[in-house]
Amino acid sequence: MAYQHNHEAMGSQVHAYKADIFCRDETRVDWHSKALWLLREKRDRAAGSLPEWEQLRQLGSEIKLHTLTNLAQYLETFEQNCLANGIKVHWAKDGAEHNRIVHEILASHKVKKLVKSKSMLTEECHLNPYLEQRGIEVIDTDLGERIIQLAKMPPSHIVVPAIHMKKEEVGDLFHDKLGTKAGESDPLYLTRAARAHLREQFLSADAAMTGVNMAIADKGAVVVCTNEGNADMGANLPKLQLHSMGIDKVVPDIDSAAVLLRTLARNATGQPVTTYSAFYRGPQVDGEMHVIIVDNGRTEMMKDKILAESLKCIRCGGCLNTCPVYRRSGGYSYNYTIPGPIGIAVGATHDNTNSIAWACTLCGSCTYVCPTKVPLDKIIHHHRRLKAEAGKLPYGKNAYMPLVGKFMASTTLLNCSMGAARTALRILPGSLLKPFSGAWGKYRELPVAPNSSFEAWFKKHRSL
Amino acid sequence: MSSKHEILNALKLSALTNHPMPSIDVAPRVEDLVGQFETNLKTVAGTLHREGGLAALQAKVDELIAQGLQVISLVEGVTANRDVPPTAHELRDIDYAVIPGDVGVAENGAIWVNNKNLGHRVTPFICENLILALPIHKIVPNMHQAAKEVTLDAGEFGVFIAGPSKTADIEQALVVGAHGACSLNVYLV
Ligand code: SF4
Repeated sequence: MAYQHNHEAMGSQVHAYKADIFCRDETRVDWHSKALWLLREKRDRAAGSLPEWEQLRQLGSEIKLHTLTNLAQYLETFEQNCLANGIKVHWAKDGAEHNRIVHEILASHKVKKLVKSKSMLTEECHLNPYLEQRGIEVIDTDLGERIIQLAKMPPSHIVVPAIHMKKEEVGDLFHDKLGTKAGESDPLYLTRAARAHLREQFLSADAAMTGVNMAIADKGAVVVCTNEGNADMGANLPKLQLHSMGIDKVVPDIDSAAVLLRTLARNATGQPVTTYSAFYRGPQVDGEMHVIIVDNGRTEMMKDKILAESLKCIRCGGCLNTCPVYRRSGGYSYNYTIPGPIGIAVGATHDNTNSIAWACTLCGSCTYVCPTKVPLDKIIHHHRRLKAEAGKLPYGKNAYMPLVGKFMASTTLLNCSMGAARTALRILPGSLLKPFSGAWGKYRELPVAPNSSFEAWFKKHRSL
Repeated sequence: MSSKHEILNALKLSALTNHPMPSIDVAPRVEDLVGQFETNLKTVAGTLHREGGLAALQAKVDELIAQGLQVISLVEGVTANRDVPPTAHELRDIDYAVIPGDVGVAENGAIWVNNKNLGHRVTPFICENLILALPIHKIVPNMHQAAKEVTLDAGEFGVFIAGPSKTADIEQALVVGAHGACSLNVYLV
């Protein structure tokens, strides 16, 4: 089926290969790029309308940095205050432990159906298949998440997970799975159908699970942001609610959360704030509330001063929308649950193809839009260095990079070779040279070579 | 060793050096708070009713009931035709819920609602349409002020609501009315 066209892109392959699959359909690539650029434009308008935007970015960055540098203390304060509010707190060092804890809680309450709202952390831990194998039905309730869940795909974006799908494909899928009219692709009609379908799920669920946008240490409360209201429809109907959070989600107080709430939605979609920003400071009457605090590699990242800064991220998705590589290679080309610049920052270490650190032009646009000033280009550059030091340069780069180093180090060699290249570019036909430019030259024309080198130009002109 | 202690111990190896907490001091825009609020509420697809206060709200509720709709009111002084049921699930057929808002935020059109005034926590989400009654003097310039004004005691739930529920998950087309309320009307009282 059409909506499954991206399946072949699954599995661990180098970024360029997977991007190539995505790029086969040129009109789709253009459409994808434009859809995301629209979000970037909305973001720019929202940011531009606030005179204090840069101040908020600076505050966001410093609040997160402050919390990260005192993380143990804040996590303990958070736990104590949660306990005082009647919230049960669990700690998980990795995804496996997280899943085990979740399953134990659900099993002890004999939960058959769990409604979930968007959580990249539970994606990271592969929670859904774990629970499904143990007989628990898991319903993702964010519309985009539900679409890709029905299509049996992972998310391709962290805020708009089904951004790669066209409305006709969603129409076919819903016709198949929800019995909507054949050939119907009107977003309003399809959304209403999903609303009716998901209402039944909310009303019949035994438990609800959400991610956490911010965890407030001095109150012992968690903040959950959605536009659809699915997290709150979920958490406030059944008596059992679970919230999974990475250790990096904690902030000192409500004032800090307010700063981040001001930038999160503006940077994600250009809205002044998400429709619902809910603060849970305890279970409902006769209910139970659990918070699971998860490490899963985060403390490891914190041992590296540069990588640690990626934990300032508040998952707004802004860096994906602006990234020229993400927009033209799609979310499935990154070998990680989280794609785009932030996906490289937090995922490159575990990328066994050692290629995603190169899925970046180092243009720095991501760093420029980030509401908490995560230095994404610096982190990505650092990953390349770590890969090189570990002798894990991707195929191709491994072979020629040492040579490049030698060339660069020797003035004579460099001048000679550059001279040769200029001559070659001038006199040899493009078709003969193009294969040497690799993937770079595939969709580009080779540059017109200047007549002389910069070195020669400089010698000639510096006396002027 | 428990996972908690393993995590806390691992944090001792963090490479980050101490960074002070910044002081949050952002200049508020205080001119025409109601006007700002109205503009931003519109941006998030909500509607403001400035005039008439509680009487206008009651008139609206009477009109809805006359149309045969199911209305629940948690606002003192406004009567409707449904009471708070024993279980949250019984709210599934509510057409309109009328709820008091505590604090309005001019900068983004959001309104803080606390569970003390909700009957069931799910009320503002499960209703087909939501009406909030907001005291006019409770509009503050921005989220920093709001953070100081909101109440959230131990065991409570509170939510900033900015407009009706919405989604743009199908080809970026904005659709109002996802899982929560399909419309939001705010009455200044
Ligand atoms: S790195 Fe910054 S821009 Fe990217 S998702 Fe995180 S917070 Fe948003």
